[in-house]
Amino acid sequence: MIARRLAVRTLAGLAVAAPWIVAAVAPGQQRYIVHVLIFTALFAALALSYDLVVGHVGSLSLAHPAFFGVGAYTAAILATRAQWPFLADLAAAILLAALVAAVVGVPLFRLVEHAFAVGTLGFALVAWIVATNWVEVTRGPLCITGIPKPAIGLPGGATLSFSALPAYYWLALTALGLVVALYRGMTTFRLGRALHAVRDNEPLAAAAGIDPLRYRMLAFVVGGAIAGGVGALYAHYLAVFCPEEMTIGLSVNLLVIVFLGGVGSLRGVLLGAVLFTALPEVLRLAPTWRLVIYGALLLVIVVRSPEGLAGLIRAPRPARQSA
Amino acid sequence: MPLLEVRGLVKRFLGVTAVDGVDLAVERGELVSLIGPNGSGKTTLFNCVTGYLPSDGGRVLFRGHDLTGAAPHRVARLGLGRTFQQVSVFGRLSALENLLVFVQQHQGDALLPRLLRTPGVRRLEAQAIERARGLLDLVGLGDRAGAPAGSLSYGQRKLLAFAAALMPDPELLLLDEPAAAVNPTMINQMKDHIRALHRQGKTVLLVEHNMDVVMDISERVVVLDHGQKLAEGPPDAIRRDPRVIEAYFGR
Repeated sequence: MIARRLAVRTLAGLAVAAPWIVAAVAPGQQRYIVHVLIFTALFAALALSYDLVVGHVGSLSLAHPAFFGVGAYTAAILATRAQWPFLADLAAAILLAALVAAVVGVPLFRLVEHAFAVGTLGFALVAWIVATNWVEVTRGPLCITGIPKPAIGLPGGATLSFSALPAYYWLALTALGLVVALYRGMTTFRLGRALHAVRDNEPLAAAAGIDPLRYRMLAFVVGGAIAGGVGALYAHYLAVFCPEEMTIGLSVNLLVIVFLGGVGSLRGVLLGAVLFTALPEVLRLAPTWRLVIYGALLLVIVVRSPEGLAGLIRAPRPARQSA
Repeated sequence: MPLLEVRGLVKRFLGVTAVDGVDLAVERGELVSLIGPNGSGKTTLFNCVTGYLPSDGGRVLFRGHDLTGAAPHRVARLGLGRTFQQVSVFGRLSALENLLVFVQQHQGDALLPRLLRTPGVRRLEAQAIERARGLLDLVGLGDRAGAPAGSLSYGQRKLLAFAAALMPDPELLLLDEPAAAVNPTMINQMKDHIRALHRQGKTVLLVEHNMDVVMDISERVVVLDHGQKLAEGPPDAIRRDPRVIEAYFGR
């Protein structure tokens, strides 16, 4: 237990110190590596929000790109056209994404299992089509450009600016820390138990007095809200946001991270995010074979460890007693 | 006023009338058994009463509340506990957590205190753990508290499901075939548990196929056949009732 806490603190410390480590080890590559680290932190937060839905209430949603896009567009439009300060447009992005999730969640959760997955897929497609064609608002394929780097006004007139790469990395890491705390709060203790009861056996959960729809909606709305917040951070970071960022491809990436990392497991999802965000970058060294190696690795993991990478690093479970 | 009152309940499946105008009343503290040949509508009646199936007619009253059309979780929170015919546990939760799930929703379900783990919620949790451990000991699963429920044997899971239903201390307990598909030792165990509940003043409504169990422990037996109430009375009278004998064994 103590050893584990120490390991967690060491890893957290390494994550915080990463830009300095990179500067010391590979000074020429610093910009590029920190950029990959920022992507990793943002994708880790996004994947955790996705896992709240697919991992903890067991609803295979493919709607996540839509919430990500709603958040990104909200922040981008407010920051560029209305000159809203960063924290205000971030809050608006989170709230609007949550609202959209709450509104579409009610009809979508009337569908079950595969129908639910198809329904959420349809919603994500519609959101993407709207983003592409509602040119007056989103500028469509021309993208929203010139999104400012975030800055937070401090009391006393000073501003905390995140225009430098390491500063933005620490902002993303702070966001990830908050998401981890929320994820842990929701997936353990009484709240987590209620979510897991709904996932494992819905009729029995109802017999225990748990309203299944309420907890599915809770995970869906909180997951959507986080995705909206990550979308806002993403748009501010890249300064540009285009409809292609919210296609089904994003769902595929999230599915790979969550299911190959370890569905329903904080460690697994974090590990998956690190591996599947960094790996494609590392593989750029072998451009011809990049996708082949990537695909082969995915296959190996699926075959060797159906529970995901978390299943490999977890202590072996006690053998099942025969029924 | 009876604790549970079912009036003229009707349930149809694609033209087949599974429950056909059944009246049923259970008084506080009674132990009543519902029996009948396969397909006579016992489990369908259970599912209509507990909100798992919408009924097509009639009313269900429990402690003065009209349960007709209420969702299962609402029925459960009003104090009507049930078990399922097919063994039903949360496979990936531990045995202890299986029981804890059953009490928490009855103890206030505001989200924020649970997310922040306020002292009040922690105190409730500690009490719940104590009660859960007591119940696990009662059904002989005290040493399996930490095991995933999915790893328990069939009989153990059945006992776990029974203990879980007791966790919120329901006013009325509906048991759907607690003795089905378990070995004779466990049948006796189950019988003892149900009898003990009855002695403590609990109200129990039992659906059971095992006649020994029914005749042994029930105060009153209600016989269903083709969705209708065929007979009702003390076990001895039911055993001799020619209509019941005919329904079960044919002429």
